[in-house]
Parts: sequence; structure tokens; C-alpha cells
Amino acid sequence: MKVKRLIRMALCTAIALTIFMIEARIPALAPIPGMKLGLANIVTVWALFTLGPVDAAMILISRILLGSLFSGSMMSLLYSLSGGVLCFLLSLLLRRLVTEKQIWVVSILGAMAHNVGQLLAATAVMESWTVWYYAPVLMISGTLTGAFTGTAAQVLYLRLKKLRAIGREKP
Amino acid sequence: MKPMIQTKTWMILFAALLALLIAAALLVSHRGTGKIANVYQDGVCIRSIDLSAVTEAYSFTVTDGKGHENLIEVAPGQIRVAEANCPDHVCVHTGWISDGLRPIVCLPARLSIQLEDTAQSETEGLDAVIG
Repeated sequence: MKVKRLIRMALCTAIALTIFMIEARIPALAPIPGMKLGLANIVTVWALFTLGPVDAAMILISRILLGSLFSGSMMSLLYSLSGGVLCFLLSLLLRRLVTEKQIWVVSILGAMAHNVGQLLAATAVMESWTVWYYAPVLMISGTLTGAFTGTAAQVLYLRLKKLRAIGREKP
Repeated sequence: MKPMIQTKTWMILFAALLALLIAAALLVSHRGTGKIANVYQDGVCIRSIDLSAVTEAYSFTVTDGKGHENLIEVAPGQIRVAEANCPDHVCVHTGWISDGLRPIVCLPARLSIQLEDTAQSETEGLDAVIG
């Protein structure tokens, strides 16, 4: 049981990390600092609803740490981490508020929280509020990509649930 | 399970939010007509260049002591980051800026270039506005 849980989390981290690394290779559509698709969040959202907060948090943290390590920029670790943590905390609060057909809502608001976290980190690092110029554009893109990844996570959740293949064991 | 907040409500909420953000994006793009480029590193203005006084293009490199290098190119009326060794190159892709509409930001190097009305640094022989 313990081994099964460990393997499941390791598998999820590996999947999230693969998505993250492939996404990092996609050239940015617009020169806006911090803008991205956030496809790896599909795994986090799915894990949050299927495996629970503890497992999801561990998958998220492992992915962010390893992702920054692999992509070779430790500076981005700070931005990813503050964005990721804020996004996760908000998702955690929203989890009880939505039905399983409204998972996309969590993802959109999570993406916005991620943007705010990133901008706060950038403000602290650069000691300047200049970066907030990009806040509206960043959050528009966050809403759209959040809706996309959220819908993907929701479809994944509902289909895997039907299969009953993966999930939290009954105590 | 009955939803606490109807899906329709969420949709209206997001549509309103999106409209608000688009309005905000349009609003911020309409400010600033400054012609003085202030180069900030870690929040400190390290160089100010009056772009309207530039007659010949030149470039200089900004280093941060942590391995980051940004080659900044100055031309009459405009400025850009020509080369950088940061991983994402967002600063380079931003290209030339010639108005106060948007800043150049390099997150890894903690560098930003903004066109403002007043010089924030005394370098480049400008009359710095203090106070």
C-alpha cells in the first residue's frame, strides 16, 4: 500500500516533468515574461482531485524542483515556486466549493493565483513594480490557458474515475 | 451533487473578469511618453540615457556578477537588448522600445529598462532629477 502510493506519486511526477520539459521547448508566442501554457498543471489538478492534497503537493514540489534543475535556471525556481504554491493553496480552498464538472474553474483561478505569485516574486527580486505592467496581459493568457488545462484535467479525472484504475485506496 | 455555485455563474464571472483585464491591459498601454531610458538592476537605476539626444548607435554590456550578461543596444530614439545569456531570451524578443508603453524585462538577470520622463541615474552626463 505504501509502495503503491510512492510509485503512483513518482509516476505522476515523471509525467508532469516530461510535460514541463516539452513545454519549455515550445517558443513563446509573445515576449511577455512569465507567460506559458502551464500544461504540467493538468497533472497537479488531477492529482488534487483524485489522490488528495498531500500527494498532489508532493508531486507539485518535486516537479518544480526537478524542473528548474533540469532546465538549468535556478532563478526561475523562485518564480515557479511562489506561483505554484499560491496556485496550490487557492486550489485547495476551491476544491470543496466545486463539483467534479467544475474542475476547470479551479484551474482558471489557480492560473491567476500563479500569475500573482510570480509577479510578487519578481517584484521582490527586482525591487521594482515594473513587472506589474504585464499583469493584465499575463492574467488574460492565464485565464485562457487555465480554462484549457482545467478542461483537460476534468476530462482526465472523469474518464479515469470511470475506469476505477487509479485512485485513493479505501481505508 | 448540487453545485454550490452554478456553472453559469462562474462563466459570467470569468467573462466579466476577462473584460476587466482587457480594459486594464488597454489602459496601461496608454501611459507614458518618456524619452529617457532608465536601466534598472535589482531595482536600482544603474544608467539613464536620453534617447532623444542619441545621434549614433552604440552598445554596452550589463553584468550582474552572477553570470548574467545583457548586451544593450542604443540607437537614436530607441533601445533594446541585443544579446543575452538568460535561458528564456524574453528581453531580446521584446525588441526595440521607443516609448513608455512597455518595459523590457529580463527576469533571470533582474534587469529592466523603462522609458520615463525623468532620469533616475546620473550616469551618461544627464542632469539627474533628485527629489
